[in-house]
Amino acid sequence: MTTLSTDVVVRRPPKGAALDPFFKILCFTAATTLLAALTGIVVTLAVGGWPAFHKFGLNFFTNTNWNPVTEEFGAAGPIVGTLVTAIMALIFALPLAFGVAVFLVEFCPPILRRPIGIAVELLAGIPSIVYGMWGLFVFAPFFAQYIELPLMAAAPPGSIWETLTTGVPNGDNILTASIILAIMILPYMAAVLRELFLTVPVQLRESGYGMGSTTLEVITSITLPYVRRSAVGAVMLGLGRALGETMAVTFIIGNSHDLPKSLFGAGSTIASTIANEFNEATGEMHTASLIALGLVLFMITFAVLALARALLGADKHS
Amino acid sequence: MNAMTAETYEQFAVELPGDQIKMHVKNLEFFYGKHKALHGVTLPILNKGVTALIGPSGCGKSTLLRVMNRIYGLYPGQKAVGEVLLDGENILDHKVDVATLRSRVGMVFQKPTPFPMSIYDNVAFGVRLYEGLSKSEMDVRVEESLRKAALWDEVKDKLKQSGLGLSGGQQQRLCVARGIAVRPEVLLLDEPASALDPLSTAKLEETIVELKKEYTIVIVTHNLQQATRVSDNTGFMFLGRLIEFGPTVDLFTAPRAKRTADYIGGRFG
Repeated sequence: MTTLSTDVVVRRPPKGAALDPFFKILCFTAATTLLAALTGIVVTLAVGGWPAFHKFGLNFFTNTNWNPVTEEFGAAGPIVGTLVTAIMALIFALPLAFGVAVFLVEFCPPILRRPIGIAVELLAGIPSIVYGMWGLFVFAPFFAQYIELPLMAAAPPGSIWETLTTGVPNGDNILTASIILAIMILPYMAAVLRELFLTVPVQLRESGYGMGSTTLEVITSITLPYVRRSAVGAVMLGLGRALGETMAVTFIIGNSHDLPKSLFGAGSTIASTIANEFNEATGEMHTASLIALGLVLFMITFAVLALARALLGADKHS
Repeated sequence: MNAMTAETYEQFAVELPGDQIKMHVKNLEFFYGKHKALHGVTLPILNKGVTALIGPSGCGKSTLLRVMNRIYGLYPGQKAVGEVLLDGENILDHKVDVATLRSRVGMVFQKPTPFPMSIYDNVAFGVRLYEGLSKSEMDVRVEESLRKAALWDEVKDKLKQSGLGLSGGQQQRLCVARGIAVRPEVLLLDEPASALDPLSTAKLEETIVELKKEYTIVIVTHNLQQATRVSDNTGFMFLGRLIEFGPTVDLFTAPRAKRTADYIGGRFG
């Protein structure tokens, strides 16, 4: 051991010290700009949509008649269409996403884990216009010919089955739009669910198996209760995305402003209505109504995402 | 260290009479992928007694324990070669149903792992999987298990509350209660007291001594005093080999292998 040097170390302030206040201001500006943009959008939507809200009042939400010629705008059709397609998409996508996540966590041989993980990511990376095109040119005709027509032909007259399958058999309808949406939100939900399942402590899973449980019993009795609330959050995240999706839906939903009455009937969503009509909206009230629709969509999505966020961190484990 | 060959390990093992052996590990080799973690371990487990496994970290004692109920099988790439006889039947055989095996050979882990459900349901969990008990029979079984785990008095008024709300020591005894509720033949304890305070540890040790009247217990521990307090036989492991095995008293008072003496004397590990 050498003796410790007793020389006094001469210290200067670090070179960056003078820059720190500027850096702080820079970051603060970035953050406030974001907030300002958000506020700006909300305020603009509210101001722009005000004439429509003012003129139609609550009728804007309940009236099903959307007629640019007579300047009568009731948004019940698009609003219901948005909710119905998003929820149906969720119903289709959830079991699949759940299956993918469980497979990846519990069953997947290591050699398949990467390929499937990459496939899920690729699915998430496909631009929505491509989904829309594929839906319009490939999926809708296939669906019309091999599913829609046989189902309609087989429907007993007067049954619920017949009511649900009424429509023009061209493949452009609420159901195909929901299926395309389901494919689009599947990778997001699968990825989030998989992450959630991985948060379950290894020893907890092993304890479950150690009691002699099968995989299904471990999933239902241990994994799911452990991530319960966060899993609802993951589902909401998927729902939020399905609500706002525009291009793919616009291509394939049939674009009718009526209230959707059957699975094979044409419909519209808020996003598809705005995309279709904004260019042609010449009347002041038409524009205002579209902006008001935008505000409604923003509010719905915001509520769903806020709920998702609140639930995602909700499973507190010591 | 790496240059050593198997021949340089002096190994001593006491034979047990066949009728006293509940579980017999024979020539067991274990692989994590290509890495060989156990090198031909042979170890008899005393029926209705406590067998302690001691040794420095990474010596393979937990690995050995994880073979005894085939929990390692959850992980592709981990492989056991050799024989582990439970009442004469080789549990490594592919024909053995692992779920049933694990209900016969229970396990309690290092950290308490209460399931996200009520205290009652935690204890009843395994029983529900394998037995169709009536409500009153289940009540009896739950109380009996919690009593054996020395937890009943502390939780009898809050059986419907979540198991996650208990203290660490209580959670661990809950896991013991859960483990014995299914009436396993063998109970594997993987450093069950390492996350507990001294008082909880003492209670857990009393529980173990009490349990060995009915169960065969294998305990992995880093705490040598604990091994002397609770076990009948002790195995000392080093670098994936069983260096010495014998009655706990003999092994701690008159170790035959130099490595055992060094380890229990605190000279390494």
